[in-house]
Amino acid sequence: MAAATSHLSLCSSSSSAASLSQTQTCSFFKKEADLFSRFAAFPRKTQSSTWVRRVRPRKSFQLKFSSNGSPLNAVSLQDSGSSVAKKGLGTQEEEASSFLYSEPRKAESTLSITVVGASGDLARKKIFPALFALFYEDWLPENFCVCGYARTRMTDEELRNMISKTLTCRIDKRENCEDKMEQFLMRCFYHAGQYNSEDNFRELDMKLKEKEAGKLANRLFYLSIPPNIFVDVVRCASLRASSGDGWTRVIVEKPFGRDSESSGELTRCLKQYLAEDQIFRIDHYLGKELVENLSVLRFSNLVFEPLWSRNYIRNVQLIFSEDFGIEGRGGYFDNYGIIRDIMQNHLLQILALFAMETPVSLDAEDIRNEKVKVLRSMRPLQLDDVIVGQYKGHSKGSKSYPGYIDDPTVPKNSTTPTFAAAALFINNARWDGVPFLMKAGKALHTKRAEIRVQFRHVAGNLYRRNFGTDLDKATNELVLRVQPDEAIYLKINNKVPGLGMRLDCSDLNLLYRARYPREIPDAYERLLLDAIEGERRLFIRSDELDAAWALFTPLLKELEDKRIAPELYPYGSRGPVGAHYLAAKHNVRWGDLGSED
Amino acid sequence: MATLSSSSCRSYATSLSSSSSSSSSSQAPICGHNQRITLSSIPHRFLSAKISCQLSRRGSRGNAVRMQDGAVAPAITPVENDSPFKKPKENLPPISPPVETKEAPGFDVHQNESTVTITIVGASGDLAKKKIFPALFALYYEDCLPKHFTIFGYARTKMTDAELRTMISKTLTCRIDKRENCGEKMDQFLERCFYHSGQYDSQENFAELDRKLKEHEAGRVSNRLFYLSIPPNIFIEAVKCASLSASSGNGWTRVIVEKPFGRDSESSAALTKALKQYLQEDQIFRIDHYLGKELVENLSVLRFSNLIFEPLWSRQYIRNVQLIFSEDFGTEGRGGYFDNYGIIRDIIQNHLLQILALFAMETPVSLDAEDIRNEKVKVLRSMRPLSLEDVVIGQYKSHTKGGITYPGYIDDKTVPKDSLTPTFAAAALFIDNARWDGVPFLMKAGKALHNKIAEIRVQFRHVPGNLYNRNFGTDLDQATNELVIRVQPDEAIYLKINNKVPGLGMRLDRSNLNLHYAARYSKEIPDAYERLLLDAIEGERRLFIRSDELDAAWSLFTPVLKELEEKKIIPEYYPYGSRGPVGAHYLAARYNVRWGDLGSEQ
Repeated sequence: MAAATSHLSLCSSSSSAASLSQTQTCSFFKKEADLFSRFAAFPRKTQSSTWVRRVRPRKSFQLKFSSNGSPLNAVSLQDSGSSVAKKGLGTQEEEASSFLYSEPRKAESTLSITVVGASGDLARKKIFPALFALFYEDWLPENFCVCGYARTRMTDEELRNMISKTLTCRIDKRENCEDKMEQFLMRCFYHAGQYNSEDNFRELDMKLKEKEAGKLANRLFYLSIPPNIFVDVVRCASLRASSGDGWTRVIVEKPFGRDSESSGELTRCLKQYLAEDQIFRIDHYLGKELVENLSVLRFSNLVFEPLWSRNYIRNVQLIFSEDFGIEGRGGYFDNYGIIRDIMQNHLLQILALFAMETPVSLDAEDIRNEKVKVLRSMRPLQLDDVIVGQYKGHSKGSKSYPGYIDDPTVPKNSTTPTFAAAALFINNARWDGVPFLMKAGKALHTKRAEIRVQFRHVAGNLYRRNFGTDLDKATNELVLRVQPDEAIYLKINNKVPGLGMRLDCSDLNLLYRARYPREIPDAYERLLLDAIEGERRLFIRSDELDAAWALFTPLLKELEDKRIAPELYPYGSRGPVGAHYLAAKHNVRWGDLGSED
Repeated sequence: MATLSSSSCRSYATSLSSSSSSSSSSQAPICGHNQRITLSSIPHRFLSAKISCQLSRRGSRGNAVRMQDGAVAPAITPVENDSPFKKPKENLPPISPPVETKEAPGFDVHQNESTVTITIVGASGDLAKKKIFPALFALYYEDCLPKHFTIFGYARTKMTDAELRTMISKTLTCRIDKRENCGEKMDQFLERCFYHSGQYDSQENFAELDRKLKEHEAGRVSNRLFYLSIPPNIFIEAVKCASLSASSGNGWTRVIVEKPFGRDSESSAALTKALKQYLQEDQIFRIDHYLGKELVENLSVLRFSNLIFEPLWSRQYIRNVQLIFSEDFGTEGRGGYFDNYGIIRDIIQNHLLQILALFAMETPVSLDAEDIRNEKVKVLRSMRPLSLEDVVIGQYKSHTKGGITYPGYIDDKTVPKDSLTPTFAAAALFIDNARWDGVPFLMKAGKALHNKIAEIRVQFRHVPGNLYNRNFGTDLDQATNELVIRVQPDEAIYLKINNKVPGLGMRLDRSNLNLHYAARYSKEIPDAYERLLLDAIEGERRLFIRSDELDAAWSLFTPVLKELEEKKIIPEYYPYGSRGPVGAHYLAARYNVRWGDLGSEQ
């Protein structure tokens, strides 16, 4: 509960670490907004120019290194050549934007990416490798530097050593890899400092200025740190290490609070130092290839959209499972549980993308508007539409797997769910009555993430009697497998070749690995690049976050207040049987647990 | 009856129910009943009934309609109920377990007492050797034939049984996946094959055949199937002789006829009329072997057993439909027959039109033959007759490629030098009903083209207000979905969808959601002839063409065929092995269509 408490009082905790005056600014935030905006280096003019751009027809949707203010870069990823990009007005942002391309002014801007919490697991395993991959594929601007920031004392050299161990080259692009790696590492620096020390961040600022050498400075901070110090770091970074003339953006990782209140509080505190459009709340699931593809599938094909409603869809299943437990990471997890860790963010975000109406355009704001509408049309979860579970120890063969509470980092009496299944409903015209089932769990028998769309029965099916008694087996199903082995397949009924009339279920399928031999980029690569480019489509807006929490908070409170005991399931099993009862209650069968999948 | 006995092979309820119902309840009227009853080996008891049947057969009115006219049936129902042997089975509604029949040998005791004789008239011909005997052997190998069966070859050539067997044995093959015992099975099969030589127009010769058949039937209920693998000009003679002299006395007699069924409305009607002098509508099995292809069979399954296709199956979502047939060889000495018919009669008017009708029909009331054929006729009757400007014809000319010279059509010795017969044709057809109004159905068939393919392509409309329009560049046509059902070679179904190219950019790309039969089903896919022969034996008429269908099909094509011939329209010449005449593109372009098979990618 310690972390929780600190969450609830984020501002005050920051105050204890910093000066008293900061606390006051926190509480008087509204009045002092102007003041902050000055500090935070997002001058008003930027926002007005943003507005201008919004009105201007967007022809190029190129990689605009726009100001902090621009929320408009939705389609910016399309690489149709740089010439189009020149159409823009010669504003400052335009100049800034151009430096990905071979334009004369590109040398004048520079990008620094500061990874705060550089010595942490995520930084080493995901962020640095993703940055390297972007560098390797020439997605990063010419002038960039990567700066690690953490409390550990370390030299640049030590950081480079540490990073170099986790960098890998794509399978299909091995040549020059060593060279490239060297070049990349030369751009990496380290600065040690406290997370709540403005002085240390000022030193960082000086170092960055040195690297920037007077060019237009754009700065991206990646907060790879525990949530209780988010606000401190944001305060220090924003006050002392913001860019003077370019943009400053901050990427924040989950958890974004642990309920409506703490999340609201976090947002409020972040907004003291940052404008909404400087905050990039990352949900790395939204960066997955097939999640990106979901909108493409829906909106660029004629054949799916007519079916995309309660008229044809019987239920939707969002399934996430891991085949390992918390393995020593229980300290964080036990305070959150699977619902907060997976469902309320990853699965709910996918659901919103899946179920949203057609947006006006692919711009970030348009898409996020539609997603919020979905979330706000949903009923808050009821306790009886949720099943929670926790894995217990299990011996298979000679090997025995520890239960959740056997983990030394977990309290022995923990009731934190490591598995949850939930049925959600969207009360709008399109989805009324269609159950959206979510399931997420650790220490299950498989590792996978997928979306399953089960279609209704064929009305008056002529082939009814060929299916035998189990008509549910005979419905179509669309499966988007996010991991592992990205694939899309559509189950159709088909005649078994031969003289009889036996039907069976075949797949019309697209296995990514077979079709696209290229390695699929990691979600972090995409998201980092988007943040650099100011493309907000895949980041979570404050109101989305609020709406998401509003759905889950009552339930989470109730679970905790009533101390609902999770159903125990063996490590490596298919999860608690309660999930089946829940599904059965809504006339659903889990698609992933059939005889075949 | 035979249906039930051989249903051990067909492991599905529909066939069982539809075939049993077609001969029992509403569909097969007087004679059907008579046959079924006699089958139950109590012939003399219903002799009188049989005679009355024969009488009514003579004065047959529109058989097609009568066949489904349930009103006829009640008159005979008591008779049916009298039949103690069949009763339990017949009254069973088709809820009988679908797959289980395969395992459970629920054979009627009396089925052993019936026998099937398959007489191939024209046994020395090419089709018989290449297709019919091998198909019969495959059926035998797979235990789809009834226990008592005999195969008779009939032709003018003098031959002994042994000679016939030697001839057949050369073309028999075993399935790749079932090689064991093949030699043994082949011997057993050949033991059942006999030969009788005779003239096609000699009743006496057929009477001799009848005696031979009787010998083999040994007093059992005899069912007789005649497969006419002979030129059309002797159809009638053979039918007359077979029907008058070699009909079964106590079982059924059915005749399978191959195309051509006439060469225009008049000749086709004359043929039908002549056939009907000797046969009932439900004795005539007009074979269109394309309907026996696996994927054509699957077309209805796809449409009606999946939720996801039917909502899209209309003018609202479908931009055009393409039916494509191409062969990569010319007439090669078979010009004698072909030159008199041409590609439109040979392929388009029958095979492609049949597929079109199946594709476009409304949902039938049931899967019974009559229900399906009713819907098909409705489609044909809703179609505009073809007009000359909607047709492009071509003829291949010789072409030299890499030192090899391929002969042109008129270079074939069997073809007149001044022949204008089309070896290629493309046509745009329209169905003027609520579902398909304005949707062009394009057909294309040709010989001596660059590939050998038969497929159905369904091109869907553009996505209205497509959010990703700018990602597609200027050629929006490339961005529409397309469903392709490839009938041959390499059976496959695939749906082209737009997809994001994995990677950090937002590039879209067309991928296929696909089902490749060879990969999914390791079993060899049975030849169309196997299916159709088995259906004929079982009395399953779904895949055979009814007289009124045939009439409707001819009435669509007859005017344009006449016009082509009267005006002596000169076909556009295209080189052997090319993609066909350019006129086909103009025709397609006129209706805003691009041929799906000729794009950069397929």
